[in-house]
Amino acid sequence: MSEIFYPKDEQDVSDFIFDSFNKNNPIEIIGHGSKKIGRIIQCSQTLSLKSMNGILEYFPEELYIKVLPGTPLNFIESALKEKNQNLGFEPNDLGYIYKGQSDPGSIGGVVSCNLSGPGRFKNGALRDHVLGFKAVNGSGAKIKSGGTVVKNVTGYDLSKIVTGSYGTLCAITEINLKVSPIPDFEETFVINNLNYIEAIDIFNKALDSSLEISGACFFSEDNVSFLTLNDVKKDTSILGLRIQGPKPSVVERIQVLNKMFKDQPTYVLDTYQTVIFWREIKNLEGYAKSENFICKISLPITNMGNFLKHFQNLKFKYFLDWGGNIAWCEIHNNRDLDQMRIFCLKHDGYLTVIKANDNFRQREDFLTNSNSNLKILSKKLKESFDPKSILNPNKMYLGI
Amino acid sequence: MPLTLPEVDNTVIESKDKIVDDLSKITKNIIHSEDEIKPYETDGLSVYRQKPIAVVLPETTDQVSKILKYCYEKKIKVVPRGAGTGLSGGSIPLADCILLGMGKFNKILETDFDNRCVVAQPCVANLAITQAVEYKNFYYAPDPSSQLACSIGGNVAENSGGVHSLKYGTTTNNLMGVEIVLMDGTILKLGGKHLDSEGYDLLGLITGSEGLLGVVTEVTVRILKKPESVRAVLIGFNSIEDSGNCVADIIAKGIVPAGMEIMDKPLIIATDNYAKAGYPRDVEALLIVELDGTSSEVDTLIEKVLDIAKMNKASYNRASNSDEERIRFWKGRKAAFTACGVLAPDYICMDGSIPRNKLADVLGYINKLSKKYKLNVANCFHAGDGNLHPLIMFDSNDPEELKKAEDFGADILKYCVKVGGVLSGEHGIGVEKRELMCEMFNDNDIQQQLNIKNAFDEKNLLNPGKVFPILHRCAEGGRMHIHKGRDKFPDLPRF
Repeated sequence: MSEIFYPKDEQDVSDFIFDSFNKNNPIEIIGHGSKKIGRIIQCSQTLSLKSMNGILEYFPEELYIKVLPGTPLNFIESALKEKNQNLGFEPNDLGYIYKGQSDPGSIGGVVSCNLSGPGRFKNGALRDHVLGFKAVNGSGAKIKSGGTVVKNVTGYDLSKIVTGSYGTLCAITEINLKVSPIPDFEETFVINNLNYIEAIDIFNKALDSSLEISGACFFSEDNVSFLTLNDVKKDTSILGLRIQGPKPSVVERIQVLNKMFKDQPTYVLDTYQTVIFWREIKNLEGYAKSENFICKISLPITNMGNFLKHFQNLKFKYFLDWGGNIAWCEIHNNRDLDQMRIFCLKHDGYLTVIKANDNFRQREDFLTNSNSNLKILSKKLKESFDPKSILNPNKMYLGI
Repeated sequence: MPLTLPEVDNTVIESKDKIVDDLSKITKNIIHSEDEIKPYETDGLSVYRQKPIAVVLPETTDQVSKILKYCYEKKIKVVPRGAGTGLSGGSIPLADCILLGMGKFNKILETDFDNRCVVAQPCVANLAITQAVEYKNFYYAPDPSSQLACSIGGNVAENSGGVHSLKYGTTTNNLMGVEIVLMDGTILKLGGKHLDSEGYDLLGLITGSEGLLGVVTEVTVRILKKPESVRAVLIGFNSIEDSGNCVADIIAKGIVPAGMEIMDKPLIIATDNYAKAGYPRDVEALLIVELDGTSSEVDTLIEKVLDIAKMNKASYNRASNSDEERIRFWKGRKAAFTACGVLAPDYICMDGSIPRNKLADVLGYINKLSKKYKLNVANCFHAGDGNLHPLIMFDSNDPEELKKAEDFGADILKYCVKVGGVLSGEHGIGVEKRELMCEMFNDNDIQQQLNIKNAFDEKNLLNPGKVFPILHRCAEGGRMHIHKGRDKFPDLPRF
C-alpha cells in the first residue's frame, strides 16, 4: 500500500520531492484521483495535492483566476458563475465513464490531462487557457512560468508543456487560468436522420460559414438513447450545432441555419435544453459505466469519414465532436484498438485511451506515436524537469 | 553600440574559408563577402550590428538538416533568421556564427479549405496567408502591425499577436503544426491538420522560443471565415484613467471585442498628422473598439459599448458606418511606428504586458520617467489584452541619449513586472531584454528553462546569447532557492 503525503503548501511539496530525489524514490502525484488515464504506475509513495485547495485571486474584469491545484473544479465553476463567467474550455467531467456519476475532480488533475469540451474548435483547448503556473520539479526546485496576462513572450511557454503532461514533469502548486464571460443566450440547431457522410458534409457547410458555431456534434442512431431530453428524438441520428451570443444574433443565425438546411428534418433546442444537451456530451454520459475502452480519436476532418468507413464493420459506438475533428469511441477489444491506432498514425492523427482495464494500463503504451526521434526528445524533456524520473514514471511513456 | 554576446570562438573565424567550402557542398546559396553580408548584420532592433562569418540560404528541409548537422559536429553557432523584422534583436548574428537565412522558404504549400488550414514555408509573410485564402472569405487571425513583411516562421518564434489577440489569440492559439529541424539535424513533425497533440505539447513549447530550440521549416496554421460584419468605434476621453476604466467595464459586461486599442495624446496627434485618420485632437486618450459577428450582434454591441463609454465620461464618439471608414479608423493606429519616425530621429518601441486595471498607473509612471530622462514618449496600447507599446524618442547621434532611452525602457519594463505584468507581450526577449529576465524569474526558473534548452541543444549552438541573461545570475538578486543552507542542484551547470 502506497503511503500518501498531503502537503499543505508549496514548500511542503518542495521538501517532499527534494527528499525523494535524494533517496531515488519515485512518487505518484494525484489530485482527487478521479481520472484513471495513463499507464498504471507502481510507487511506494503518493503525493496528493488534494489539501492544497482554494482560490487565491479572482479578478473578473481581468478575466483570470488564480487557484491552488487541489481546488475542486465544481468550486471554481460556482465562483465563476456568480460573476457570470466560466472556463471557456468546458472541462470534461469524466466521473460518468469511471463510476457512472459526476466526479469532475480537481483543477490540477484537469490541467494535467488537457482535455477540452465541445467548444474546443472555436474557443481553443484547455492549454490555451492556462496563463501561468507555479510548480515543483523533479529535483524539488520551485519553478514558475507565465503570469496572469494573455500576451506573454517572456521565456519559454512552460504552461503549454506542463498542461497535459499528466504530472510527469512537475507537481503543479498554483495555476492561473483565463476565464470567459458566459454567453447571454444559446440555442442548438438539430438535424435528424443523417448518416456520418452527410453529417460531416453539414459540419463543413456550417463551419465554413460566418455563423460562429461553438459546438458541432453527431450521434448515430444506435448511440442516442442516453440523452435525457424528452424533446430529443431517440429513434434517429442527431446532429447538433450550438449557437451562442446576444439573443438577437443567436435568433438571426438560427434563421440562417434554417434556410441553409431547409430540406432536412430540423428543430431547435432552447437555452435550458442546450445547456443539458452539451453537458451530457461533454461528460461522455453515453458511455457511463462502460466496461470497454473509451478512446478519443483525433484526425483531420477530411480523414474522419475514411476512418468511420474503414471500421464500419466493427460495430463500435462512437460520436463525433468538435465539428468532426474528433470521435469519442467505445471499443470492445485490443485488436480493434490496435488497428485504429495504426490507422490514426497513417492518417495524421492519434488515438488516446481515456478509459481502459487495469491489465491494459499495466502492459500497453498509452500514446499512439512511436516515432523514435520524438520519443528521444520527450525523454530528454522529461529529464530536464525530472532528472531521476521520479515523478509519475512510465505514466505517459513506457520507459520515461 | 557594443553588445555583450557569448565568447567568440576564434578557431571558427579562422576556419571561415573551410567552413564556406564545406557548406557550399550542401547549398550554393552562401554569402560571405563583406559587402553582401551587410544587410544581414542586424534586424528590426537596428541599434545593434554584428556581421556573421557567412549567411547560408537553404532551399529545402534536407539542406537545413545537413547544415545544422555539419555545424553541430563542428561546434559552429547558428543564428536563424526569417524576415528580419523582429524588434528584440532575436536574429542579430554573432561574430563566429553562420546566419541561417530562411528567405528562400517563401512558398505557400497548400491552402486546405476542407480542414480550414494553410501549410506554408516559414518565410511566407503573415499577410500573404490571408491574401492566399481571402478569395473564399477566409483569413489568418494574428495580425502583428508588421504583417506585410514579418514572416510566419518569425511569428512562431516570437508568438506574435496583433490587435485582435483578445478574441482570436496569438500565434500559439492559431498554430496547428510545424516541421522543425533540431540542432543535430533531426527533422521532426509536431502537430498537423488535427487538433491538439498527444504526448508533451512540443508545438506549444516551440512557439515563442525565439529560435533557440529548433529551426522551423514548415508551418500549418488554422484559418477562419471572415465575420459577416465588422464595425469600429472611436471614443475620446479627457483622461487616460477614464479610457482604462472604460476598457475594464466593457470586459466586465461580458463583451469580448475583436480589438481594443488606446493611444495617448502625443500619438493621436502624430498618427493623425501622418495618416489623416480624422482623429479628434482635443482628447487626452483615444480608444478604438472593433466588434465583429453578425450584423445584429455588432449593432447591439456597439450600442452597449457607447453606453459604457458615456458612463466613463467619454467626450467624443464616432462609429464606423462603412468598411472604408473602419479602415480609416485603423489607418492611424497601424501607422503609429512610422508616424513616430517623423517626430524624432530615432525611437525604441517597448513591449510590456500589464493587467488592464493598471493602465493609468503605468502610463502615469511613464510620464514621470519621460520628465526624468528628458525624452519624449508616445504610447499605444493593445488595451484588450494589456499589451503596452511605449515609443521612446531619442537621437542616436548622441550616444548618451541612446543609453538614456535604454534605461528609460528598462525602467518601464521593471515597473510592468512590479504591477503584475511581464517583460514582453509579443516582441520577445532577444538581446534587448535578456538582462531584465531576473526581474521576473529567479535562478530556479531560469535554470529550468536552460535545462530545456539543453534537452534540445546540448552544445548551446542554436541562437546563443538570446533570451537568457549572460551578464549576471538572477541569484544576485538574493532570490535563489537555498534549502537548509544547501543549493539543491550543485551538479547542474550554471550560466
